[in-house]
Amino acid sequence: MALLKVENLSVGYKSKKGMVNAVNNISFSIEQGRSLGFVGESGCGKTTIGMTLMGLLPENASILKGDIIFNGNNLASFNDEKWRAFRGKEISMIFQAAMNALNPVIRVDEQIAEVIQIHNPAMSKSDVSNQVKKIFSLVEIPEDRLRDFPHQYSGGMKQRAIIAMALACAPKLIIADEPTTALDVIVQDQILKEIKKIQKALNTSVIFISHDIAVVADVCKDICVMYGGHIVEKGTREEVFKSPRHPYTKTLLGSYLTLDSYEDINVPEIREAPDLITMTGGCRFSANCNCKSQKCQCQTPEWVNLSSTHQALCFEELLNKDKND
Amino acid sequence: MKKIEKKPEHRNHYIERFTKSWAIFIKNPMGKTGLIILSAFMLMAIASFFVPLLGPVYHPMTGADPNITYSTGPSLQHWLGTDFIGRDLFVQLLEGAKVAFIVGLSCAFISVVLGTAIGMISGYAGGIVDTILMRIADIFMVLPSLVILLILASLWELSIWVIIFIIAIMRWPSVSRIIRSQTLSLKSRPFIEASRVAGASNFRIIFKHIMPNVLPLAFLYMTFRVTSAILVEAALSFLGFGDPGQVSWGMMLQWVWSSGHMFQAPYWLLPPGICISLLTLSFYMLGRAMDEVLDPRLRKEEEEE
Amino acid sequence: MTEEQNIQTPIIELNGVTKEYSSKKNFLSKGETNIIALNNISLAIQKKEIFGLVGQSGSGKTTIGRLLVKLEEPTKGIIKLNGKPTNKLKGKALKHYRSKVQMIFQDPYQSLNPHLSIAETIIEPLVVNKIGNALTRRDKVLETLEIAGLSPGEDFFHRYPHQLSGGQRQRVAVARAIILDPDFIVADEPTSMLDATIAIQLFQLLLDIRKKFKMTFLFITHNLAAARYLCDRIAVIHNGVIVETGSADKVIKDPQHPYTKKLILAQPGFNFKN
Repeated sequence: MALLKVENLSVGYKSKKGMVNAVNNISFSIEQGRSLGFVGESGCGKTTIGMTLMGLLPENASILKGDIIFNGNNLASFNDEKWRAFRGKEISMIFQAAMNALNPVIRVDEQIAEVIQIHNPAMSKSDVSNQVKKIFSLVEIPEDRLRDFPHQYSGGMKQRAIIAMALACAPKLIIADEPTTALDVIVQDQILKEIKKIQKALNTSVIFISHDIAVVADVCKDICVMYGGHIVEKGTREEVFKSPRHPYTKTLLGSYLTLDSYEDINVPEIREAPDLITMTGGCRFSANCNCKSQKCQCQTPEWVNLSSTHQALCFEELLNKDKND
Repeated sequence: MKKIEKKPEHRNHYIERFTKSWAIFIKNPMGKTGLIILSAFMLMAIASFFVPLLGPVYHPMTGADPNITYSTGPSLQHWLGTDFIGRDLFVQLLEGAKVAFIVGLSCAFISVVLGTAIGMISGYAGGIVDTILMRIADIFMVLPSLVILLILASLWELSIWVIIFIIAIMRWPSVSRIIRSQTLSLKSRPFIEASRVAGASNFRIIFKHIMPNVLPLAFLYMTFRVTSAILVEAALSFLGFGDPGQVSWGMMLQWVWSSGHMFQAPYWLLPPGICISLLTLSFYMLGRAMDEVLDPRLRKEEEEE
Repeated sequence: MTEEQNIQTPIIELNGVTKEYSSKKNFLSKGETNIIALNNISLAIQKKEIFGLVGQSGSGKTTIGRLLVKLEEPTKGIIKLNGKPTNKLKGKALKHYRSKVQMIFQDPYQSLNPHLSIAETIIEPLVVNKIGNALTRRDKVLETLEIAGLSPGEDFFHRYPHQLSGGQRQRVAVARAIILDPDFIVADEPTSMLDATIAIQLFQLLLDIRKKFKMTFLFITHNLAAARYLCDRIAVIHNGVIVETGSADKVIKDPQHPYTKKLILAQPGFNFKN
């Protein structure tokens, strides 16, 4: 059985102009010990998914429909009190802005110990401190830095401390929302290795959210590509990145610069962001898509199975037409 | 031709911002109440221009009713009664509203213009200019304004305009402190640097780029300045150091006191007292509601849309 | 081509440029701590070149950009524009310099004044340099908007920054930078706040502008891949020191300095090994 199963989830934000459909009818699941990556550009809804799974949606946002089944519990129906007991223990999160997630006036080890104590009130003091030491050795922060204040840490160290905090209660699922975006490439590389190592060592499931496809490809075995609140393509990373089928995935990959691929870059047309308020029936990507088929603008595309693991949200004949080109 | 075309667009932006802010403002119960009370006082102030036209009896300063030689209670002829020499209290109250507005608004205006200009220059220039200006501000800030006014007023007879000017001079430093810190944070913003790279002069940067960004804050401070100016003037008048040729609410209270009617004539004592409290309250509520309009969190939401 | 360039005077030249920031502790304690942001930097940028300056945060790459547009002055060393030293320019000479050297800033959400319309923003360099009259300025702004890929220009003329997307805002910033027809533009991480698909379009725009107007660019970035895509030559900067300079191809295919090697190894790529 899957650890987490999300079915037909829609999340909306109330705004003056109407309901913003940030996440629209998405379904995915993740097994124990697997890693799932969400990739997409700003406004595609990937952060909203993370916030929904943590029960941290802002006040003007709500789950419109759908179920989030985690270990037999439906998180979509949780109230605040249930979330408090659950959050951090079963699912925890690694935030983007490491500098803001640590309290500047409390020593780092105390902050981690506090998280453990909240969820395990019966644990003795020495057990807690042993647990803290264990976690710090896992994220490779030297033991003599335990008693430091956050400002004494470098950016990479702070991010490690944040990871340590997320690991404090040995959660079954960790959500990492752009954990390396603010970091330098070399530090990013170390942190990504760290996350992979920990995931293997603890057999934790990881949901990794990023705008950087290469980073997601590095960490995750399964990939969901998002556009305008929809998942438009999902599959293993080899399927999605080596043989992308959805036009948006192709655009995304085609415009991504790497050290090797800089020559065959496709510069996309000037693209308008999808309108998330007025819901026309058609495909959200149709305005920017090369296929420019009439059908795309009025008819909602369906999932097309490309293999047992690889699916794309498009029209079958268009996918095939594209292939023949 | 281009100018003509550009102007309405430019105004539109400010109108758009104003209507947006207005929508937030008017939703606030405090802002609404404050505005209603304020409108009532404004009507009173406007009325004060017309009432004396009814006859010489209705002049606030010289219009003593020849038939009355002592303070009387409310009657048909004098709605709030008369003072000890037979002048109409209601007319005086209207006149007091006018004076309160003149004192409050002109004081606030002078101190905010001064404070904003000094704050922007101080924050933008930095260095020695900043240090000197801010030390001067500190000196003014710690001066007890009422005491100084009392000393000056006991030495010379001060007209209402001199009083206004002195209060304004004492009140700019706190405005300039706020504007300075706002300017400091704006100064290092990339759009200011972009303008410098484009070759803009300091003068242009201050007035074209910094001023529109600090004006809302200056405006907010103006409402709070109004409150304090009205209170200072009232206190001064009540203590007997106001402009003797000018009726004001503080002056009315002074007359109640000095003529020994403090505990005999509630119809005389209460109205100016209530008016002072209500008017300052309404400006305060206005300021609080505006504070909410300027709240960065609300502004942010607006920008994100 | 290289021979001809060698004979030409470089458009921008940095000679032993050092920048220190001193932080006076306070009145009482006399000690001063100096932070060396740039240490003895020497660089030469040739005409029509896109020169990449690659480094991580805190490496001093942004400081070089700020020195070049005279937002700051070097502590030591000389900066030359077209062979002429430019240290401590004032008044008219500074204004003239600024009309020749422009900048595109990193964050398009911060670099445009929210209270000015797009037209007012782009027209500013013309106004402060007293170029043209109201009518010719308007035409110039419209033309520049079109060049920056904001067409039709009339559509954007009266809009305000908050009505534009990030990519459009950065195009406005580009338009503001090129309207004076400068010789040299400093682009400080112009795409780091933008999505990849938008960033690549902006790169294309910069390449087009270079071709059309023969402008020279200094492209400051933390992204080696972007530098390789855009630049002719690259300098890698680390802790205020330039550790390696060379053609973009050479630096990435055959890095010499251990730091450059480390940087290249850390780049995420699509190699699914683990």
